[in-house]
Amino acid sequence: MKFDLVIAGVGGQGNILASQVIAKCAMEAGYNVVNTETKGAAQRGGSVLSHVRIADGEIYSPLVPVGQADVLLGFEPLEALRYINLLSKDGKFIINTAPVPTILANMKVDEYPSTEQIVATIKEKGLDGYFLDATKAAKELGNILLTNVVMLGAFTAVSDVLAPEVILAKLLTMVNEKFHEDDSRAFELGRGMISKEG
Amino acid sequence: MQKEFMLGNEAIARAAAEAGVKVVAGYPGTPATEIVDLCGGYPGVYAEWSTNEKHAFEVATAASLTNQRAMAVMKHNGTNAATDFLMHVNFTGVRAGLVLISADDPGGLSSQCEEDTRILIHNYAHLPMFDPSSVQEAYAMTKAAFALSEQTELVFALRPVMRINHAGGMVEYGEIKQDSRPAEFVIDRKRFVMSAVVEKESGGELRPKMRHRWLNAKQDELKALMEASPFNWTEAAPGETGFVGCGIGYAFLKEAERIHGAKLPILKLSTLPLPEGKVLDFVRGLKRVVVFEEVEPVVENLLKQLCFEHKIVLEVLGRSEFLPKEGELSANLVLTAVKAALEGKPYPAPAPAQYVSARTRTQCSGCSHRGLLIALKEVVRKNGGVVTGDIGCHDAGTFEPMNLQATIYCMGSSIPMAYGVKKAGFAKPVYALIGDSTFFHNGLTGLASAIYNGGDITVIVAYNSTTAMTGFQPHPGSPTNLRQPIAPIEPGAVAAAMGAKVFRCNPYNVEETARVIEEATAAEGVKVVVAEALCYLKFGREGKLSFTPRKVAVDEAVCNGCGLCVRTFGCPAITLKDGKATIEPSGCNGCAVCVSVCKRGAIK
Repeated sequence: MKFDLVIAGVGGQGNILASQVIAKCAMEAGYNVVNTETKGAAQRGGSVLSHVRIADGEIYSPLVPVGQADVLLGFEPLEALRYINLLSKDGKFIINTAPVPTILANMKVDEYPSTEQIVATIKEKGLDGYFLDATKAAKELGNILLTNVVMLGAFTAVSDVLAPEVILAKLLTMVNEKFHEDDSRAFELGRGMISKEG
Repeated sequence: MQKEFMLGNEAIARAAAEAGVKVVAGYPGTPATEIVDLCGGYPGVYAEWSTNEKHAFEVATAASLTNQRAMAVMKHNGTNAATDFLMHVNFTGVRAGLVLISADDPGGLSSQCEEDTRILIHNYAHLPMFDPSSVQEAYAMTKAAFALSEQTELVFALRPVMRINHAGGMVEYGEIKQDSRPAEFVIDRKRFVMSAVVEKESGGELRPKMRHRWLNAKQDELKALMEASPFNWTEAAPGETGFVGCGIGYAFLKEAERIHGAKLPILKLSTLPLPEGKVLDFVRGLKRVVVFEEVEPVVENLLKQLCFEHKIVLEVLGRSEFLPKEGELSANLVLTAVKAALEGKPYPAPAPAQYVSARTRTQCSGCSHRGLLIALKEVVRKNGGVVTGDIGCHDAGTFEPMNLQATIYCMGSSIPMAYGVKKAGFAKPVYALIGDSTFFHNGLTGLASAIYNGGDITVIVAYNSTTAMTGFQPHPGSPTNLRQPIAPIEPGAVAAAMGAKVFRCNPYNVEETARVIEEATAAEGVKVVVAEALCYLKFGREGKLSFTPRKVAVDEAVCNGCGLCVRTFGCPAITLKDGKATIEPSGCNGCAVCVSVCKRGAIK
């Protein structure tokens, strides 16, 4: 068994927490796990890519090689586009369509592509997956910081490597108790979004 | 044996604690930083942030001479700074086990340069090294290095790369044994005094030559150790092309082999010096080998030399030809190279990459540096001055949209470079912009040089009381050291004692800061402006701020959408929407520095 996950996002989106939840669940299920992050030096706002590699045997490279990821979670569409070549042709992507503009795009030095352009570029590659507005869903639940939990819930609807209830239970052990109800709702909402939007 | 998930830096710290390390010293630098912090958490281990890596190495060596196991921790830039000491401790040798962690950052992912410190430590200083291929191996090598250092009386170095330090994996680990050897200092001037002294016993030869001979004589002992080392091995498979994986290069090679789908003849090398017997056994019968290493052709050249000495005809490919000469390896790069080598073709030119709008590094929203940068930018816009920069969060002031500092080299370079520009005859004002941790690292001597030589510059110290860029390590200007509260050494007081004219400002107040910088510019000699404000990200969490947070918003009736605030200022919370500037409330920390940026007064 080999399962490679990459999570592409922007600093502050809870990318690393999501990868830790999955890594811990995999370890407790008895798998070998290797992970790492590639990130800019900025505390916030930089590009962050988490790699989680799960296997029942030896794992060598801490980085998921190009074309090997079984699932790509894109917490932000431009970041998903930046790393889409990591996804295997048999893999699945789940991409949050809510953009976080870059400073250079704000300044008009760069162009931030439209969501339609990003969707089209990714579809042209013949890859399979889901686009959903996890940020909007999180805002509707009353807290934009729930975006990563919506995405984590959506992940459990496309991958059966780990049981959804195990992932949710692990997440709840890692966050403050006062957020448990909101987190559970965001998780279920994310799960539901896959079957609805698929 | 127990098994746990650990980051590479956790595994190295754990191994050092198990090996009975007593003194650990370092200076923060990605990717090695966490090792020192973590060592400080083990009972009975003294850990410190020294002011720079050379001093960290000196502290650790002194502990070794006092019969206690010790470790010095740094990134590659730090090893450069410590090289003067390295080139002496290699000649003296050590007493208790002394391990040097020299972490490299291939590709310069989090560094000002990319380099290979194996060249400094092994090729130049002739010291033994381990190059780990996994987190588990980093653990095992660190532990082994302490024992072997003691056995050979030499510094042993571990050269992890970013993908080891900051990667996590399952690690089997052991028990911490308390090391209870006495702290005794036995004077041995013949070893520990490095000087051009005449050695009577050696027929009047000078000591540097004698100690050099001692170090050279050690090499055979080291080669024998590496021959028996468990960190080098061969994986046999049929074929005329062999592959050598060094350190993390082996991990990428094994990954490439898995994707390739057939076993390859592999020699895994993780030690310097090389296990020459193992290498010769591997290459005999092969027509070609490809060496994968980070980042210079160190093993490749040693292998070529070995083949030459043994009259072996072999095509040796690697970083000096065939592979890309610069940048990080990856499983995909190695796979491409394996396929090309098996087919006898050159390494293919990479397809041009499609640019995706970058997320450039900037200051956090609420950071005092943004106020300082915009104030200084306003001053030099008017007077045509030049700003030499230094390492730290403020160095992002060199990028869009600030475009302020004209140079960035290494720790402390800003001050000597600033007065060098003036000495060349440049007529307009010159500013050196340096952070507080860097000021203590290597800025003090530069400041003394500037004052001593009659420089005419304005040095601006961004005093935020922490080494923020690497994750908030304290320094001599902070209210604590790694262990306890201290009375901070105030940069302005030091500068004043040296004879500089000292000015102070709070960079959250942009007008005041610009006025103070202009006042300093008008004065003669070396002026030091201390721009003091606590790091928002670190101290804000503790409820300590150097500004009074308030609600900041754009008055849409006044904003004409000129975009100056976005184009010149670059706060992540400010964007242009539908022709008007807008401040995203969830991203704004209420520092209100942006208020002074809008010339129309639309930001309120």
